[in-house]
Amino acid sequence: MAVATLDTHRKEERSDAPTGRSTPANRRRSGAHRSLRFFLHSLVVFTTVFFFATLITFALQGMSGLSPAHLQLSESATPEQIAALEHEWGLDRPFIVQYWDWLTGIAQGDLGTSWYNGASISELLASRAIISLSVAGLALLIGIVFGFLLGVLAAVFQTTWIDRSITAFTTFISVMPSFVVGIALVAVFAVGLGWFPSAGYVPIERGGFDIWLWHLWLPAIALSFDTVADVARQMRVGLVQAYRDNYVTGAVVRGLGPVRIFLVHVLRNGSGPALTVLGMKFPNLLGGAVITEAIFGLAGYGKFAADSASRGDVPAVQGVLVVAIVLVVLFNLLVNVLLVRLNPASARGV
Amino acid sequence: MIRRILRLPTGRFAVAFLLVIAFLAVFGPALAPFDPLQGTDDTLAHPNAEHWLGTDYLGRDVLSRILAGSTISVLGAVQVALIALLVGAIPGILSVYLGRTFEWFTLRFVDTLIALPFLVFAVAMTALLGNGIPQAMLTVGILVSPLFYRVARAATLSVARSQYVEAAMLSGASTGWIVRTHVWSKVLPPIAIALANTMGIGFVVVSSLTFLGIGVQPPAPTWGGVLASDLGYLNYRPYAPLFTTALIMVTVWAFNLLADVIRDVAGESGRALFAEQDSGKRSKKNDATREPAVASA
Repeated sequence: MAVATLDTHRKEERSDAPTGRSTPANRRRSGAHRSLRFFLHSLVVFTTVFFFATLITFALQGMSGLSPAHLQLSESATPEQIAALEHEWGLDRPFIVQYWDWLTGIAQGDLGTSWYNGASISELLASRAIISLSVAGLALLIGIVFGFLLGVLAAVFQTTWIDRSITAFTTFISVMPSFVVGIALVAVFAVGLGWFPSAGYVPIERGGFDIWLWHLWLPAIALSFDTVADVARQMRVGLVQAYRDNYVTGAVVRGLGPVRIFLVHVLRNGSGPALTVLGMKFPNLLGGAVITEAIFGLAGYGKFAADSASRGDVPAVQGVLVVAIVLVVLFNLLVNVLLVRLNPASARGV
Repeated sequence: MIRRILRLPTGRFAVAFLLVIAFLAVFGPALAPFDPLQGTDDTLAHPNAEHWLGTDYLGRDVLSRILAGSTISVLGAVQVALIALLVGAIPGILSVYLGRTFEWFTLRFVDTLIALPFLVFAVAMTALLGNGIPQAMLTVGILVSPLFYRVARAATLSVARSQYVEAAMLSGASTGWIVRTHVWSKVLPPIAIALANTMGIGFVVVSSLTFLGIGVQPPAPTWGGVLASDLGYLNYRPYAPLFTTALIMVTVWAFNLLADVIRDVAGESGRALFAEQDSGKRSKKNDATREPAVASA
């Protein structure tokens, strides 16, 4: 159930229009120049994405038409009282001024104060984010390990029963919504077999590493299913395609061993799409927290966002979203850098 | 094209199942044997002759709640897909024609929509905008629209720059004729695939939202809501989530299957189809061609 793709190094359709054929020599000379251009370009893209995303997030307040008056004043408040309160929160200033103020606050790690209880959102979030990021981090790890492993297995043993059963398995788990997976895991492993706790979170300082991890397994597995399926499928497709390339045939003809061909030629060239998918799946891992936290009774930022949103506490919701956006942008930058390290040709596509 | 879809067994199955689901969505509330909102003293009953699927924690008939909830759950998915089509496909097509500034900005905007943490954002926006079904549909529709943008843009690009369109123009064909014979047949299949995919996605997201109790007011029955209330009483009726879960999963699966079948019929799989011919394995084709956005972006 891949929603869509964030792939900033997608080949721009226009870039392959003939812009003067470059000889190999002058292509080599412009290599350094090109990676600099690539870096600048991705920086521009990600900065724009960041600004758009924060702008949408900030505009939520205007679109919702909510103000602290809903939370702090009674029904009988006079318009003057409401206006005074909104002035106190600085809501009567022009939109751009408010946005800039908010953005500079974020740059200093200040996410504003909650309308609900006046507490600092950064502090409210910090303790909850640890829970969510533990789960998302473990899910990411599961996604990487099992996704790549299954994809590699399916590609190496393509068209055999191993490939077919892996494909069937990934197809099956990709149609399972995360809440269904979560419920199934709770029903089987927590309620039925009793191997794992069905809910809750134990901080690492209190219960030690084992207990902490033991509580994380089920939510992380539930969250990772989608990622495992998509990464495995892309990995398989990428590798199968790389196996068909002429340089692999060339390597076989030259008499190189299958292990060397796989590691040097196929894996390096074929794992790009899977890495891209991983970058695109990251927002889902962060966003899926809403569901897993509801099922597994974790007090993470997903639950915080849902609760705050139902209360109408706009700044708190914005705080969660901004943190998630920053993480997504950073992770995708990392993925792009990795992609270029892996396969310098991908820098050309930007 | 519809006839060709129906010729395939998988196509027949997908269409048949979706018809059943559509039937439920339209007539479900009328078919419900009990009032889905009326609680009784008979709480958490096991399935029996009177209550086929048992009762929930307020003694409400589960079967009636599932039937009555099918309208919101299924029509929600359709609405989401249509909104996404409208919001995504039009800028996608225009991006090819309206100059590079428009193109650049819409592309970045689409990147932004993709970068937003999907579910958290859907939940937050729906709840903040007034926590109703229309808000939920609109939010989710906009959030899944990048798929249509990409698909429509890619299809338009490939057609607008193809030589046969150029040739047709040179030989004096009218624009209307070109659109009917060349452009339409090229743009429609990917859009249809994206539509089927988006309905599946929209269905999952709507179910997720209703599971969390976002977008609907509490007593109103939905599939996600039924599932959520089952989850709280897993110790009494551990089998309870099975019915709703199976229904949701089969619906998603049918949407995905339909997308696959359209893709097969329209020959959209391109390079992946060659892979299929090489190996002759059907299971592989499903795998290689499932994700148009990733593979062709």
